[in-house]
Amino acid sequence: MKLKKLEVLSKEEIETITSSALRILETIGIKIDDEKTRKRCEEKGAIIDGISSFVKFPENITKDLLKLVPDSFKLHGPDGSFNFEVNTKTTQFATIGTPVRIYDPKLEKNKLKKSVLADTIQQIRVVDSLENVNCSHIDVWPSDVKFTAVHAHCLYQWAKNTKKPYGLGCLGRLASQDMVNITSLIVGSEEDLIKRPRLVGFMNPTSPLQLPKLMTNGLEVFAKYKQPTIVAPEALAGTTAPVTLAGLLAQTCAEIIGGIILAQVFSPISPVFFGTVSCATDMRSGNSALGAIESSLITIAIAQIARYYNIPSRGPGGVTESKCFDVQNGFERFSTMSLAAQAGINYITCAGTYESSLAEALELLVIDDELVGLVRRAMEGINVNEDTIAIDVIKKVATSEQKGTNFLAESHTRKYMYKELYIPKLIDRGRRSTWKKKGSKDIIERARAKVDQVLADFQPYELTKDLDTQLLAIIKEIEARPIELYMNAEGISGGSVNITGTEISFEKS
Amino acid sequence: MSIKDKIKELIVEWETERLKEYCQSILKNNEATASSLLKIIGDIMKFVGNQFEEEEIFLPELIGSAETVKVVIDDILDPAIRAAGEEKETMGKVVIGTVESDVHSIGKDLVGSFLFSNGFEVYNLGVEVTADQFISKAEEIGADVIGLSSLLTMSMHFQKQVIDELKKRGLRNKYKVIVGGSPTSEDWGVQIGADGWADDAIETITLVKKLLNISE
Repeated sequence: MKLKKLEVLSKEEIETITSSALRILETIGIKIDDEKTRKRCEEKGAIIDGISSFVKFPENITKDLLKLVPDSFKLHGPDGSFNFEVNTKTTQFATIGTPVRIYDPKLEKNKLKKSVLADTIQQIRVVDSLENVNCSHIDVWPSDVKFTAVHAHCLYQWAKNTKKPYGLGCLGRLASQDMVNITSLIVGSEEDLIKRPRLVGFMNPTSPLQLPKLMTNGLEVFAKYKQPTIVAPEALAGTTAPVTLAGLLAQTCAEIIGGIILAQVFSPISPVFFGTVSCATDMRSGNSALGAIESSLITIAIAQIARYYNIPSRGPGGVTESKCFDVQNGFERFSTMSLAAQAGINYITCAGTYESSLAEALELLVIDDELVGLVRRAMEGINVNEDTIAIDVIKKVATSEQKGTNFLAESHTRKYMYKELYIPKLIDRGRRSTWKKKGSKDIIERARAKVDQVLADFQPYELTKDLDTQLLAIIKEIEARPIELYMNAEGISGGSVNITGTEISFEKS
Repeated sequence: MSIKDKIKELIVEWETERLKEYCQSILKNNEATASSLLKIIGDIMKFVGNQFEEEEIFLPELIGSAETVKVVIDDILDPAIRAAGEEKETMGKVVIGTVESDVHSIGKDLVGSFLFSNGFEVYNLGVEVTADQFISKAEEIGADVIGLSSLLTMSMHFQKQVIDELKKRGLRNKYKVIVGGSPTSEDWGVQIGADGWADDAIETITLVKKLLNISE
């Protein structure tokens, strides 16, 4: 039988936590920085007081809006040939994180450098080659690109370097509308983009109970174009949320549900993930502790609560606070990934990262792909039937008159070996002499060899000359925008903006 | 129990109201001056800070003690020092805040508490602080240092904007500008023309002391 789902909450406890979350939304409300967005919530029955930024959602309104949330959706790569379904029953694996530095074995000193666009491209290419990791996101932050044009550069590289979908932060309405416009051009039309979503947005409420303007601005665009959005606060137990995990869960569920229903306010039936990246606080530094065991308890609970609402869940796996490739890096990344998968999280992210997702290593990315293979195998459990019990085969081998007979050459072994045994490519299980002959390499060195091979073999996907020219022109146009335009568009300095379709116009308030 | 021991007990237990009452009674009975009480509290907070550095206590204990002390200084000791016509001793004045478009506050608050515990006068402007707000406050209180925090790759660029604005107003050399936050680095600090970068609260103290030529 398959592995039973790991659970940390009883049915009654799920109901206690979710009803507390709804009570928080009804009595305290959630802080929505953008005034127009507050008004839109009011039109749907939420209560605003005109003084504070808190929006209170009566329980019946929240429940009605939650009914609009789809329980499954598909994600596609640029040309649509690669696609997969996200639902409440299966588990997909992806990247995500905000690495600003990347491991480079060629460097002499600490082997870590500031990441640049060339690294972003390599990360996209490596993900494209992987068997189990199905989606990359803006993970490796390109520091050599103007920050207000990062999304445009990344989408251009996405189109040229992968067949898989792509994720970007809903970082404002201007950038999000750019993302939609650029992706529509790449895939042929807005209609195609809406029908076959390519982008995963991530929208992070700020704990406690706040939906920042930049994020809600971006969420509005993602919802309008029906691109699935991960609503995932990073509530930290003891700093931005109660130190008690039950309290954190009640608060963070209010934050997640607040973001999810806001997406439905913007555009009904918007695909979303019931997401978490909440974790323990390291009480020595105040740092997030994604690899802590309590963080996995939170992830497991969120998987259960998302199932309760019948909404696909997202949680972190393969995460660690380790700054190097040590035992901590290994046990934290495997335990977080394995526990999230066993809990039934539907979209597990953060492959390839370490140091609280602030650093990236392509070596870890290919290792994670293999770890996903192990985890998937574990989730399949043990298949018990007459043929797998194989009494006839046991009898045949055990009673053979030939000495030293074994099961290796049995057709039963050949029939089942790939199903029953996951055969890893990077994990070393051979004899010491063989390992020595191959250069006594550790798993990081073996992973590096694989990365080098993938990058050497990679053939970029061709764009038509016309599309290439158009995309480069858009990047140039976005790069030329003054920062004031960005600030004005997002209302950072009191500005406002109207955006319709591919035409973007601005008005100063 | 000595005055110092009593104050220490109240600080580590976060007994804000009792500490206020105790300090008031000491001042009323002329057992000590407000300046000397401030000195005692400074020494205790240094001890608390050391305990944190040695990992004998953890963040909530440090921050809770610092908040207790801040209320007592603001409500009782500062007014008493002003009433006595005395000048408050300080290691330096620091304006800190999280830059525009960023609402993350914990790291910056920790830095603030640590600076405060080490004898600095700290003006914590909160989150989403504009360049103008940083500069106006620094000008108003005669700051020595401006500390800019950022947790987002998108917001760290606003650290540069504050520095650029200082240059535009001809005030760049008047203040030491320090930057920090998860996505930032020493290189980033150099790139945007900051005077220094620190990885955590403890490093910040060393950095600020170095920038202000204060011996350890």
